[in-house]
Amino acid sequence: MRRSLILVGLAVLAFPTAAMAADGTGGWIAPFAVIAAGIGMAIAAGLCGLGQGRAVASAVDAMARQPGAAARIQTAMIIGLALIESLAIYTLVIALILLFVKGINFA
Amino acid sequence: MEAIEHPPIFRLPGIPDHVTYTWLIMVILAGLTFVASRNLQLVPRGLQNFLEVVLEQFQQMIDDVMGEKGRPYLPLIATLGLFILAGNLMGLVPGMVGVTGNLNTNAACALVVFIAYHWIGARKQGLGPYLAHFAGPVPLALKPLMFVIEIISHLARPLSLTLRLFGNIVGGHILLAVIFLLMGLDGLIGWALSGSVPGAIIGGIGGLVTIAFTVGFLYPLKILVAFLQAFIFVMLTMLYISGAIEESEHHSEHHAEHH
Repeated sequence: MRRSLILVGLAVLAFPTAAMAADGTGGWIAPFAVIAAGIGMAIAAGLCGLGQGRAVASAVDAMARQPGAAARIQTAMIIGLALIESLAIYTLVIALILLFVKGINFA
Repeated sequence: MEAIEHPPIFRLPGIPDHVTYTWLIMVILAGLTFVASRNLQLVPRGLQNFLEVVLEQFQQMIDDVMGEKGRPYLPLIATLGLFILAGNLMGLVPGMVGVTGNLNTNAACALVVFIAYHWIGARKQGLGPYLAHFAGPVPLALKPLMFVIEIISHLARPLSLTLRLFGNIVGGHILLAVIFLLMGLDGLIGWALSGSVPGAIIGGIGGLVTIAFTVGFLYPLKILVAFLQAFIFVMLTMLYISGAIEESEHHSEHHAEHH
């Protein structure tokens, strides 16, 4: 099972290389950039969701216990969410650079 | 990104679009405040009332986060907040450019914050104590290490301010652009109008669903994000400034605890 997964992965990774080589255009980095942008953004978004979920869960917990302090907890929660989210945003920026910046000549 | 975004309706030749629209925002904000403050009344009405409510919100936030001694920084903070909010919202108007969707604008705002809070901290505490505080309350042998780490973390602040705003706004723009591409005359609606029967059924239903999704969910979400990102930028600015002001007090408190 695991070996077949690895083989599929290798095949997926090898495919764009072969396609580009057949194309004759050279630049074999560009397809990998697209793959890296997708996979990186998926990992970043998933883990960012986990982290934000934990933060919101404890913030809501605290607000339910102490409704009087809800406003301050909410402010702190929003700042915390922004700081967590910015990590995923870094990945988004790198993905955008990989996808859209044509000036980078990897090859 | 020009490939999927429509060019703005109003352009000045030879000048980048975001600069043009930054000037537009400056004209709008300055014009509004000028008109509102030209004939000041003790009992405000209309525009003056509205702007006073807005500024009171900023002052309320400053009082909550920084306390009374944050009041002098109201002009800096409120200007940044209003400019970023206007830029974010302008990006949602079709045919206009969201200036905060450009790295240069955001980097300019973040650099203003960076220089301002260091300047304020150095003025309040004196340059020597302010720099000494970067080393933190650690044993002498660890101070050089702490100093370097602290410098790096301070340098990361404008970077994260810039990229957070940029990524949120541009991410939302790309999402909207992709949905519009899917929905428009090249996509579902075009398929519905093409005349074929399955196209009319699937394209019509799909087009209506995407329109409802965009109008009912995505646009309100983008407006929320526009306000939220301006709020977060302003809030972090306040935290940085109050950190630069209060650092010395925390320092002495720590020492009092330890000894």
